[in-house]
Amino acid sequence: MTGVRVIGVSKSHGLLRVLQDIDLAVEPGEFTVLLGPSGCGKTTLLNTIAGLDIPDSGSVFIGGRDVTNVDPSGRGIAMVFQSYALYPTMSVRRNLSFGLRVRSVQRDEVERRVAWASQMLQIGELLDRKPNQLSGGQRQRVAIGRALVQKAGVFLFDEPLSNLDAKLRMETRVEIKRLHQELGATMLYVTHDQIEAMTLATRIAVMHKGRVIQYAPPDELYERPRTMFVAGFVGSLATNMMTTRLSPGDPPMITLGTGRFPLDRYDFTSAPAGDRDVVLSVRPENVSLATSGQAGTVEADTLFTEPMGADTLAWFTLAGQRISARLDPHAARGLTGRVRLAFDLDKVSLFDPASGDRL
Amino acid sequence: MAAATNQARIGRIGLYAFLVTTCLFFSIPLLVVISTSFKPLSEVRDFSVFQLPAQMTAAAWGKAWQSACTGTECAGLHIAFWNSVRIVIPSVIISVLVGSLNGYALSHWRVRGADTLMLALILGAFIPYQVIIFPLVKIFSTVGIFGSVACIIAVHVLFGLPVMTLLFRNFYVGIPNELVKAARVDGAGFWRIFLFIILPLSVNMLIVAAILQTTGIWNDYLFGLIFAGHNNTPMTVELMELATTSTGVVEYNVSTAAALLTALPPLLLYFFSGRYFVRGITAGAVKG
Ligand SMILES: Nc1ncnc2c1ncn2[C@@H]1O[C@H](COP(=O)(O)OP(=O)(O)OP(=O)(O)O)[C@@H](O)[C@H]1O
Ligand SMILES: [Mg+2]
Repeated sequence: MTGVRVIGVSKSHGLLRVLQDIDLAVEPGEFTVLLGPSGCGKTTLLNTIAGLDIPDSGSVFIGGRDVTNVDPSGRGIAMVFQSYALYPTMSVRRNLSFGLRVRSVQRDEVERRVAWASQMLQIGELLDRKPNQLSGGQRQRVAIGRALVQKAGVFLFDEPLSNLDAKLRMETRVEIKRLHQELGATMLYVTHDQIEAMTLATRIAVMHKGRVIQYAPPDELYERPRTMFVAGFVGSLATNMMTTRLSPGDPPMITLGTGRFPLDRYDFTSAPAGDRDVVLSVRPENVSLATSGQAGTVEADTLFTEPMGADTLAWFTLAGQRISARLDPHAARGLTGRVRLAFDLDKVSLFDPASGDRL
Repeated sequence: MAAATNQARIGRIGLYAFLVTTCLFFSIPLLVVISTSFKPLSEVRDFSVFQLPAQMTAAAWGKAWQSACTGTECAGLHIAFWNSVRIVIPSVIISVLVGSLNGYALSHWRVRGADTLMLALILGAFIPYQVIIFPLVKIFSTVGIFGSVACIIAVHVLFGLPVMTLLFRNFYVGIPNELVKAARVDGAGFWRIFLFIILPLSVNMLIVAAILQTTGIWNDYLFGLIFAGHNNTPMTVELMELATTSTGVVEYNVSTAAALLTALPPLLLYFFSGRYFVRGITAGAVKG
């Protein structure tokens, strides 16, 4: 099995610094997701690993071998492109076998691999069709099949699901996860859909403006985001970011509106010194309704509710700031006027308002 | 109501009158040429050009092909026809294939100085070629191929390349670059991608380009006159000779037949490949 290491890779297009000193290590058999907003350099990083883009500085190792100056074909990788990029004039069978024939693989071996991949992806009946006779989901599967037959150690996926509708996307997501488990191959997967990232990844690299901000397993990323950007970007419901006041002490306290909350179990990176403004990030599912009068609660005014089926998202104003809570639909029904909110203080994050770094 | 429909009817009549007139305007000269080519010499001499032939005869066509005098020789146009064929076929094949190769390289590979090259090509496509004829003559004489088939082919390829390259480049930028990237990951190189992926996608464009080049080169007169040399003069040049060689009576029937013979190949080409032509021109980007 093959790992991938990217060391100090930078790349510019003219004045635009698309990749800035990227370090990334993907262990053999790992499923790493590159996650980030549009234009942050995910595709460029993937292309650099594939050898389709040459970095200005830094090096790329695949399976312990320095491949910085090796052609894409010599890197032992297979790639699935965002637009599928199936060869339009070739049948599905030819699409699958093209790469193998280029590499002069024996004919019976080619046939064996095509049969294996088409059975795995259930595209057996499509083998004699042309790409323009396939549906989006079928094309997607053929594109994955074309990567599979290479039996490469490393698979690179560039937003393979972005052209599919929601249902098909979910099905294919499950399919890819299953493939990863069956093949045990190393996978690098680009997406800007954070649900895809959370469900597939063993580790996620969050990218922003050409840098990797945090590289961690999904739950750590979700619970201990390293910067405000990561906290805001990860999670299907946007986290609440509130300006609050932090005062040191034992335990340190934060003040929000009329409420004062002790942070006795918060893991500060450095002990807070002096009163200061901080940004508190609390996820909607960690906000709950409290029965009045309890300590560690705060009053807020109901704005409106958004039923989402399994739960209801309720919006409040608290000290002039908006806050959302993910509530049980029963509890949220008929919610009006002034309520008391409680926070799960074990799961909040605090950030420096100026630098955006975690405290 | 009635007034409105009447007006519409008058408008319609006007429109048709205009169309019929234009049709006649453009087709009468052609009809005259065709009818003249089927007349015997006596009719050409004694009757108006607008009269249809009283006695249809293909004698003028036969003479134009086999025995009409061009300059001092009297062998008709058939030798020149084959000269033209020998010039056109290699010129078209080479210029179309090299143009498509250039277009592919310029649109899908990082070529150093590609922008400068494009600018040069666009300028090249617009330079009035009379300007560089003399230097070219000099160059070919120095190389020692002046006045040969190779020379005239080289000239046609040279002058065809800028337009061919632009044509193919603009077609190929519509092909997603990811296709080329996928093929590179699959292990294919520059040539294999060109042969197995790009060319099969270009069939319609190749046909359009071939039609454009065939017509252009077949109809060329000036280059043929200057560069082809006496033994390889193309049909257009011989046609001119034929029309200006007079021994007493001007044989208009032979001249018109010769003109039609010369014009026929491009005409037939359009006739049989018009379908591809339209398809190629309207062909948009390729979706995977
Ligand atoms: N050939 C190029 N020339 C100039 N700038 C480029 C080029 N390719 C990419 N860029 C720029 O580099 C940046 C990163 O591009 P990249 O394609 O890697 O983004 P991405 O993270 O994959 O975005 P998306 O999610 O939209 O696919 C973008 O700002 C883009 O405009
Ligand atoms: Mg991208």
